[in-house]
Amino acid sequence: MILGRRAFLASVGAATTGLALGLYREAEAGRTAPVPVATARMNDFIQIGTDGQVTIVCHRSEMGQGIRSSLPVLIADELGADHTKIKVVQGDGDPKYGDQNTDGSTSIRNFFDLMRTIGAGAREMLIASAAAEWHVPAARLVAHDDAVHDPKTKKSLSFAQLVLGAAGLPPPRSPKLRPLAELAHLGTDLPLRDGPAYVQGTAKYAADIIVPGMLVAVIARPPANLGKVGTLDATRARAMPGVRAVVTLPVPVAPLASQPLGGVAVIADHTWAALRGRAALDLQWDAGPNGTYDSTAYTQALLAAVRAPGEVIRKVGDVDAALASAATRVEAEYVVPHLVHAPMEPMAALARVDKDRCEVWACTQDPQDAREAVAAALKIPKENVTIHVTFLGGGFGRKSIPDFCVEAALLAREVKAPVRVQWTREDEIQHAYYHTHSAQTLAAGLDAAGNVVAWRQRAAYPSIGATFKDGVTHPSGGELGQGLTDLPLAIPNVRFETGAAPQHVRIGWMRSVNNVQQAFAVQSFIDELAHATRRDMRDMLLRVLGPARKVDERELGVDKVSNYGAKLADHPIDVARYHRVIERVTELAQWDKQRAAGRALGLAVHRSFLSYIGVVASAVKTPTGWAIDEAWVVGDAGIVVNAERVRSQLEGAVIFAMSSALHGQITMKAGAVEQRNFHDYRLVRMPAAPRAIHVELIKSDAKPGGIGEPGVPPVAPAIANAAFALTGVRLRTFPMQPI
Amino acid sequence: MKYAFVLLAACSAPAHPAAAVPIPDIARATDELAAPDAFAPIADRATRSRALFGEAARVFTSPRCVNCHPADDSPRQGDRHALHDPPIVRGPANHGIPPLECATCHQDANLPLARVPGAPNWSLAPSTMPWLDRTPSQICVQLKDPARNGGKSLAQIHDHVAHDPLVAWGWAPGKDRKPAPGSAAQLAALVQAWIDTGAECP
Amino acid sequence: MSVKLVVNGAPHDVDADPDMPLLWVLRDLLKLTGTKYGCGEALCGACTVHLDGHAVRACVTPLRRAAGKAVTTIEGLAPDGDHPLQKAWVELGVPQCGFCQAGQIMSAAVLLAANPTPTDADIDRAMAGNLCRCGTYVRIRAAIKLAAKP
Repeated sequence: MILGRRAFLASVGAATTGLALGLYREAEAGRTAPVPVATARMNDFIQIGTDGQVTIVCHRSEMGQGIRSSLPVLIADELGADHTKIKVVQGDGDPKYGDQNTDGSTSIRNFFDLMRTIGAGAREMLIASAAAEWHVPAARLVAHDDAVHDPKTKKSLSFAQLVLGAAGLPPPRSPKLRPLAELAHLGTDLPLRDGPAYVQGTAKYAADIIVPGMLVAVIARPPANLGKVGTLDATRARAMPGVRAVVTLPVPVAPLASQPLGGVAVIADHTWAALRGRAALDLQWDAGPNGTYDSTAYTQALLAAVRAPGEVIRKVGDVDAALASAATRVEAEYVVPHLVHAPMEPMAALARVDKDRCEVWACTQDPQDAREAVAAALKIPKENVTIHVTFLGGGFGRKSIPDFCVEAALLAREVKAPVRVQWTREDEIQHAYYHTHSAQTLAAGLDAAGNVVAWRQRAAYPSIGATFKDGVTHPSGGELGQGLTDLPLAIPNVRFETGAAPQHVRIGWMRSVNNVQQAFAVQSFIDELAHATRRDMRDMLLRVLGPARKVDERELGVDKVSNYGAKLADHPIDVARYHRVIERVTELAQWDKQRAAGRALGLAVHRSFLSYIGVVASAVKTPTGWAIDEAWVVGDAGIVVNAERVRSQLEGAVIFAMSSALHGQITMKAGAVEQRNFHDYRLVRMPAAPRAIHVELIKSDAKPGGIGEPGVPPVAPAIANAAFALTGVRLRTFPMQPI
Repeated sequence: MKYAFVLLAACSAPAHPAAAVPIPDIARATDELAAPDAFAPIADRATRSRALFGEAARVFTSPRCVNCHPADDSPRQGDRHALHDPPIVRGPANHGIPPLECATCHQDANLPLARVPGAPNWSLAPSTMPWLDRTPSQICVQLKDPARNGGKSLAQIHDHVAHDPLVAWGWAPGKDRKPAPGSAAQLAALVQAWIDTGAECP
Repeated sequence: MSVKLVVNGAPHDVDADPDMPLLWVLRDLLKLTGTKYGCGEALCGACTVHLDGHAVRACVTPLRRAAGKAVTTIEGLAPDGDHPLQKAWVELGVPQCGFCQAGQIMSAAVLLAANPTPTDADIDRAMAGNLCRCGTYVRIRAAIKLAAKP
């Protein structure tokens, strides 16, 4: 019954090579843009050729987190395939894969069990096929190294030999997962699958896709949201050599959501012609309703909001009374400006429209949302839209919004040719979905013994929700659950409040989202309390967090804690895990010894996306100020799949967060962003990078937590605390080192 | 007489406190340079020479010039002389180090779209010729000193000022940069007049 | 106007605006997409290529400057993609998103050609023009040193 590969291909066709199984399982819904619960079929993820080639689909976007070097290996281990021989193909946007929004640090934590089930189901079918062949009980057979083995007879059949037999079998309803110990590569350092492609320049990002007859577009977008074209004279632009068309895009309506901003597209034979054409547009804007937005004035409005009582979102005891009677009272205000993602790859999407069908190649974090947005914009069924996911040159949340895919689709239809929309760096910086602009006030009361007896925190910032729905003025429960309502506090009187903050610019997700400002304020403030009472930060931190325990909603004083979409039963807020990372990171950094020797160290810890991260930063004086010369990071992310990529994420998070903390600031005047490129939105460069970043992972058998984002939040406060130790100056705002 | 009045009035202004002789401050409120004729009313030849240099020094101390005439190893940027970003080092021949040479980014001309400025031989002046944070008096002494000016005669200095395209860039710096005062021709005339009056230093 | 240049050893006759940045010549006309667009202002280094052995930012280098010169891109750095830097990059798992890494490697290759045994300070000075948003700088330093080992 085993056909040769050639014969099989001839009779069946390459496209259907492989296991045709019918195991259905619900995919888990993502955190942010809820995808309708979908089905993920095993044969959509795993294909085995009659040549034995195991091909595994990676349905999550690869944007530097190393998911293609992680999830497919987990499937291979569960299946019994040699992970070094598997092929990984990138999944198009399709609900058959379940949630694909590569956002919220969910790729491992939401897919760990599901991917294993998919691997296990295929394994059981291959085993069943071998059992039938040998007429032995399936229970005694094992699968590893691309073959099924009978330990009793010492016989083996390769997957290649078994695949066609397996394909005719009924799928298992509930495949049995291997014990974790049998997953040989779980938690090890795995090879970087796409390393050679990255370093040889062959990895294809969105702008690297070429199709015949394609044109390139760049777009002049209104400087202020909901602005529109006032007057346009495109004569000079059209006269530029290589320019084919000038197209005015539709004006969006509020709420903006993922609609393109409108403006004027210049479409040309190549990028240079499009850029020169855009520069030659004689264009006056009608600023629109946000044309008076001034972020500096807005800072004052935010501060006014948090200097007055707001909506209570968390309450335990009587804060007012405790503050009034406290022996010592400490207060501080923290401000974080708008920040921007600045992935090295600015957005790009290539679209080809053929009658009522559309094909898009894009660096999208969320291909299903892109599919729906493109279908809606073109008014065609989403089944007619194909979204191919390229490599992403960084995403950081920006590329989870498909505005750029829609632009490409609209323009391709308009000019009846494939169109790549290329965003310039200026476009990326000036038309982002910005990290929110926030102000927070904190007040704490301490008794005569130095115990914190009262904690009051007020926050105001425009909500991401307002990007998608008009009239939202306060953060959502999910946003507040990123470090405020989920924060363990062993303090008898606690009150958190939010102030009103209407939105004037598009607010979006940026790596670790509201944890950025919320961890910054909390972890800086605890350091302030330590200094106010002449305590060690580590001791104050442990005291504020309190004894090892699992914190529930009652203790927190909230109705519900969002917990990143996970049940508290699965992912408790576990103070013991905070303790472990604090203890280990201070040990690793030799906290006591190095501080005694005069080193300026700062400590911070934060739980986000269900993982616990502790950071120690060291600050040193330089001829022009101060710098961070070394950092230590200890993470407890529960079970990890690829330890090597986890460490690289945590290393990178230090640098990413340093850029925000030291230099990050987007400002708007008259509704328009003032920064343009890397000269005025600076990122940390190599000379300012720490000499060393030491990363260690806590061994844990807890369910997997997130990794892409949790490394970011504790870095800024660790830096501020180290800078204070060095200079005696408390830094309560970003950028800590303005240009 | 208008210029003379301005000149006298400016003599007491502490624009360059370290200078031995107060520097004339003709037309400081404008972007123009005074012509050599404007200095004719100064009877004393040496005083006139110093005044001519002072006027020329408005160019030499312009951000467009001093930013690439630092005493240290980093070029500067902008009207506030911020350290160059990305950080750049001078290198043994004043044009950076591989792979961060001046010509890695700077071209022989300004560009149609990008902001990066360009002119032929974009490079730092040798460290023997620091103008940044230097007074016109210091610049003058240095400029005349063959040991520090690359062995140039006064005529060669004039030629450099009048004809070097890198110098000329200072008046056409591109994008939103403020040009140096006056023009290359006006500066050349002032330098010639300064040489003709004895090349005295303020 | 037609400009003759040699790219990765192959001669090309490019008929284009002499002001067109080499980046777009490479990417859009010659279909060599390993060289990346990151900023268009010579601020990020993602587009770094070699022009007669010197590192240049292709995004601001006019085509006319490349006339008669040899251009090397990441595709042509080593015939089999096995330059010591490429091997070291993979061995140490330097790339995250990978987008900046071609530019990083092209800069590092010029550094090593000029200075075969760079110190950390040499590396920092040489690589200061190449941004990495993922934050792989610490591993880049290590990989350059690994590649520099005799």
